[in-house]
Amino acid sequence: MPKHVAFIMDGNRRYARKLHVERQQGHTQGFDKLAETLRWCLNLEIREVTVYAFSIENFKRAKDEVDGLMELARQKFSRLLDEQEDLEKHGVCIRVLGDLTLLPLDIQKLIAQAVLATKHHNKCFLNVCFAYTSRHEITNAVKEAAWGVEQGLIKPSDVSEFLLDECLYTNNSPDPDLLIRTSGEVRLSDFLLWQTTYSCLVFQSILWPEYSFWNLCEAILQYQLNHQALQKARDQHAEARVLQQLEADRCCAADLLQQTGLGKPVDPQLRQEALQKYTAEREERVHSFLTALQEKRDRFFTDLNKGFIASAKA
Amino acid sequence: MAVVYEFVWRMLHALLHLQRTLLSWNWRLWRRAMTAVLVPTVFGFQNHPHNNKKLIPTGGKKSCCRVLWKSDGKSLEKLPLHIGLLIAEEETRYTDIANLVVWCMAVGISYVSVYDNQGIFRRNSSRLMDEILKQQQELLGLDSLKYSVEFLNNSNDKPEQQVLSCQATVKVLSPDDGKTGIVTAAQKFCQLVEQQQKRSSDLDVNMLDSMLRGTKGMPDPDLVMKFGTVDSTLGFLPWHIRLTEIM
Repeated sequence: MPKHVAFIMDGNRRYARKLHVERQQGHTQGFDKLAETLRWCLNLEIREVTVYAFSIENFKRAKDEVDGLMELARQKFSRLLDEQEDLEKHGVCIRVLGDLTLLPLDIQKLIAQAVLATKHHNKCFLNVCFAYTSRHEITNAVKEAAWGVEQGLIKPSDVSEFLLDECLYTNNSPDPDLLIRTSGEVRLSDFLLWQTTYSCLVFQSILWPEYSFWNLCEAILQYQLNHQALQKARDQHAEARVLQQLEADRCCAADLLQQTGLGKPVDPQLRQEALQKYTAEREERVHSFLTALQEKRDRFFTDLNKGFIASAKA
Repeated sequence: MAVVYEFVWRMLHALLHLQRTLLSWNWRLWRRAMTAVLVPTVFGFQNHPHNNKKLIPTGGKKSCCRVLWKSDGKSLEKLPLHIGLLIAEEETRYTDIANLVVWCMAVGISYVSVYDNQGIFRRNSSRLMDEILKQQQELLGLDSLKYSVEFLNNSNDKPEQQVLSCQATVKVLSPDDGKTGIVTAAQKFCQLVEQQQKRSSDLDVNMLDSMLRGTKGMPDPDLVMKFGTVDSTLGFLPWHIRLTEIM
């Protein structure tokens, strides 16, 4: 069974057109379908779900549609906060991924509250991508690495695939095993481009509000058929990554030795020791950088929350 | 009840495995038929009765094939500018891939990328290039002079031939061009930050995009055709496939 499934919940507007109702109703039905799907996933022991709720590109839609979606978000996040006991009982950890500074401040504060309240839950995880595009996420990850260099925490040569993995919004989640997109479109539309390189992609033509348990089973079946081949490809890639890192460390250690060795030939024993020392130091640097990054991210939410409490008291 | 569900699930698995095995027995025939059908359906051809036959080259039909390909290409409202061929198969068949590349060129696609997730084509790119030139000669015959192919490697971008009436660019890719490419660009930017030529806050999506595109400026793939039984992108250019249709 997949441990982490990602959904691109496409087709709300087409559904609304099909039923001759308002777009807003299509989105509301879409939300209800999401809640239902999460329950199915829990029953099937799928512990982590990531959903594409709102793209940065969606800001370009008509103002009344965007406002409607923001209002829906406001209502749903408020509802979530009311059901905190339920969330605690099921151990649901909610994370919201994206450039939250693009959202209205009151929604940012609601999100901060929800995230902080469920932070320590660890039975199942819901990642909501809101104000998100993958390119922004990758750019942000590179920016964070550059910030690390600026702060003197890491060197440019420390930047690796592993480091960028940890700088993404999804650093606390494993890569999705399965990505499902509804409504028949066969694009990724800037969703988890980095994380889905070895995920099973399933494109289903059903519209999101019409999604059924059998559609989910169909997708899982396809995942199971692809599982072996994908695992093999993933393992190959992981091996290649380790070798690449070792090679990079070797070059850096050799450079350092040359700088201090005054051009004398270096014996293999010394080279090996220098490599081990360099690798240990690099890992130390990366560790302290990642700790600082996590603190920076936590501070973003706690500051928002303080502002929320302050404005609530006022 | 759970036992019943498990049994049903296992039956479904068995049936699907059987279907896959049957398909792989007829692999060569199936593949030829698939590419013959897939290429025109993907380009949105009208249903010509002789469509399926024409893409399997046979002696006498060659000249009329070429004319058909060109006219069919022109009759389409919209052609993808850049097609990616994602080969996820166990065996590497250079001739079949070369055929595909030549067909794409003949229909009028300007950019073709060939990718496999083990980097086999990248390592043997000269063999693939030779095969493409050979197929170009065989399939297009006299007309092949009109088509010039530019092969791009990462090290040199010097065009091999002059620009004639139709030009296509073929690029061979591997996972090194995907995530590794992004890591390299990130390292370069961090070096600029270290040298205080840039600040971390200077980076935005457009800047990173132009760093990844490099000097060649190939457009993002419009369409990626996947060959093989694996339903995944297997690391094909993650940054560039933002809006790419995957079939």
